[in-house]
Amino acid sequence: MPVQVFSFYIFDRHSHGGGAYRDSRSAATRAKDDAKLIFGTVFSLRNMVRKLGGDDDAFISYRTAQYKLHYYETPSSLRFAMLTEPGALSMRNVLHQIYINLWVEYVVKNPLSPVEHKNGDGVRNEMFEMGLDKRDEGGPASLNRGATDAASV
Amino acid sequence: MGGRAVIALLIINKAGGLIYNRTFGEGLNQLNSNDYLVLAGTFHGVHAITARLNPLREHQAAHYYAQQQQYQHSASGSLGGASSSGGGGGGGSQGGPLPSRPEPPSGLEVMETENFRLQCFNTQTGTKFLLFTDTMQANVDVAMRKVYELYADYVMKNPFYQLEMPVRCDMFDRKLNSYIREINNSR
Repeated sequence: MPVQVFSFYIFDRHSHGGGAYRDSRSAATRAKDDAKLIFGTVFSLRNMVRKLGGDDDAFISYRTAQYKLHYYETPSSLRFAMLTEPGALSMRNVLHQIYINLWVEYVVKNPLSPVEHKNGDGVRNEMFEMGLDKRDEGGPASLNRGATDAASV
Repeated sequence: MGGRAVIALLIINKAGGLIYNRTFGEGLNQLNSNDYLVLAGTFHGVHAITARLNPLREHQAAHYYAQQQQYQHSASGSLGGASSSGGGGGGGSQGGPLPSRPEPPSGLEVMETENFRLQCFNTQTGTKFLLFTDTMQANVDVAMRKVYELYADYVMKNPFYQLEMPVRCDMFDRKLNSYIREINNSR
């Protein structure tokens, strides 16, 4: 069952809208303003959750009547946020796979990629964006296949 | 069987002030009262932002606008026809269907974390009910409705209760307590 993904954001630990990648099907054009709002929201909720649930607790997702935001944070404070339709199931593993299979493979292991993505220029990594587009079209099934491929290599 | 199902209830007034705060079971860190006030204010702000972040807003606005244009066009057309024929039929009644206004954005309704689940119910007047439950709890909607009902019955109908002020109503406390105990013991 395909899940409609509206937009996808990556924030580095300095809160720059690191790689703001936007889904082409999304009608929103104010992605940059939205990125700031999303970072603020996610940052506040994460702190709130830590305060209430203890330091080991992690914020996973929230839902409104219009959309659902999925969140994943790596130990190095890289934050992934994905907006999907409200009925979507948990996309946490998908975000985790994007981190492992795309971010680490194509951005971290790229010697030409800067350590930090400043000024909101975005990641601008062709392979990374291609990977995102592909997994976007293929849905979770193709992602799982990618995961096993990567594991077998 | 984990811990208690319903952990806590917070009520936030329309200005973001905390007016009720009660813990029913373990599962969340106990904060001091100042931290709870900060939490309520923060949540109030975040809620407003999440309502504005609707990814389909432009799409919906454009759709509404187009519908409205069409409606106005057809209404003025039928009006012109009516005046030329001497005001025969009820003007405007045969204009297209009234454009339907897009659903107002709702803001955060459910938040999930590894340790708990937060359900938020925003009333028509902007009062927010936050129900903290454990992650496995089902039918939180029903519990929320019942809590709202109790609030309507024992807080709003209390002649001594001042609007937007902290809730100090004995009956509400008692009824709420027995209802939540019922839920928590049925597991």
